[in-house]
Amino acid sequence: MLSRVVLSAAATAAPSLKNAAFLGPGVLQATRTFHTGQPHLVPVPPLPEYGGKVRYGLIPEEFFQFLYPKTGPYVLGTGLILYALSKEIYVISAETFTALSVLGVMVYGIKKYGPFVADFADKLNEQKLAQLEEAKQASIQHIQNAIDTEKSQQALVQKRHYLFDVQRNNIAMALEVTYRERLYRVYKEVKNRLDYHISVQNMMRRKEQEHMINWVEKHVVQSISTQQEKETIAKCIADLKLLAKKAQAQPVM
Amino acid sequence: MNENLFASFIAPTILGLPAAVLIILFPPLLIPTSKYLINNRLITTQQWLIKLTSKQMMTMHNTKGRTWSLMLVSLIIFIATTNLLGLLPHSFTPTTQLSMNLAMAIPLWAGAVIMGFRSKIKNALAHFLPQGTPTPLIPMLVIIETISLLIQPMALAVRLTANITAGHLLMHLIGNTTLAMSTINLPSTLIIFTILILLTILEIAVALIQAYVFTLLVSLYLHDNT
Repeated sequence: MLSRVVLSAAATAAPSLKNAAFLGPGVLQATRTFHTGQPHLVPVPPLPEYGGKVRYGLIPEEFFQFLYPKTGPYVLGTGLILYALSKEIYVISAETFTALSVLGVMVYGIKKYGPFVADFADKLNEQKLAQLEEAKQASIQHIQNAIDTEKSQQALVQKRHYLFDVQRNNIAMALEVTYRERLYRVYKEVKNRLDYHISVQNMMRRKEQEHMINWVEKHVVQSISTQQEKETIAKCIADLKLLAKKAQAQPVM
Repeated sequence: MNENLFASFIAPTILGLPAAVLIILFPPLLIPTSKYLINNRLITTQQWLIKLTSKQMMTMHNTKGRTWSLMLVSLIIFIATTNLLGLLPHSFTPTTQLSMNLAMAIPLWAGAVIMGFRSKIKNALAHFLPQGTPTPLIPMLVIIETISLLIQPMALAVRLTANITAGHLLMHLIGNTTLAMSTINLPSTLIIFTILILLTILEIAVALIQAYVFTLLVSLYLHDNT
């Protein structure tokens, strides 16, 4: 809506711009500036690590430095306190003693246990930091282990050819063994066949020999006539009797 | 000199406007929040304390009871800081006002009891009769238990008020004694001052303990009723 006011004002101010009305939105985008600065949320200036120095837990050190050229701050403080007391601006009442005791107990407690609590808080923060540090170190260690494993794997890949050589040798030996085995089997088969032929020949020869012997014996037995058989037997008996006499005669002597 | 002993318990006003609201709203300013992991020592110790308190208090509750953990932890922190700040001289302690303590006790107690009656009505009614009572005593005991239940919020509020008020009054009285005796007899002044110091230590303990007791009892009522 404001842009229309601006446009109408521009039109009345410079009549030559009246024809520029159709450029309205474009003019609007050009005249208004959006998002030129940096976004403010992220680069917040970091907080200081320690607070400003303070004396007596209440009065900042800058106050003392500010006063030193003009007047001593302790003198000023004492003067103010005495003034307040004497003019009864600050009245000493029951509250004074209560305040004294409370503040005394507080100061005593802070002086005595302050460093302990401070160390405790520091230790808590250090524990948190140590946890994060440990997580970071564990992650780094994990990644380092992965890198080492990867490197060793790569080295192993380089030595893969040994494996292939051994496998090749194995296969060659297996082939050799199978070849020899089959060669031997062939040899045995052939020898078997040849042995068969030899044994067949031997058997035939034996059979022929036996047959011949039987034929010869049969014919010899046939050729012995009965007369010759009786003469041969009588002669054998006479020889035997002679031999028996000779045998008997010897032991007597 | 204060006009009377109870002047410090008047709800303070600034030009007719209640300053008690500002005083009640002051303690949260002492508990900073931080969006960083590593903080300064104040925030670290406070966060550690709050973690310790919440763990101690809420472990005995079941899931339904633990929805009250924000309420109870903020309650104990509020009462503790308010009581401790009230020990400073010339300060006003809101927990000395019965109105505020009733405003804290009644809604919390009523919330716990009504929650118990809504969800587990049998269990809630069973609290009226302890186990193992002889039969003739039952009617009387039910009445006694009912009264004891109804008096719990009053007891919570009055306990806190009375303890803190009594402590502050005693400190005032003994302070007055010290003031009066300082002109008469100096050694007895020192003795009475020692008593005052001891009382201060007691008051600090009482401030913390009362906060603890209040919250513990509320959590107990909660435990009964979840």
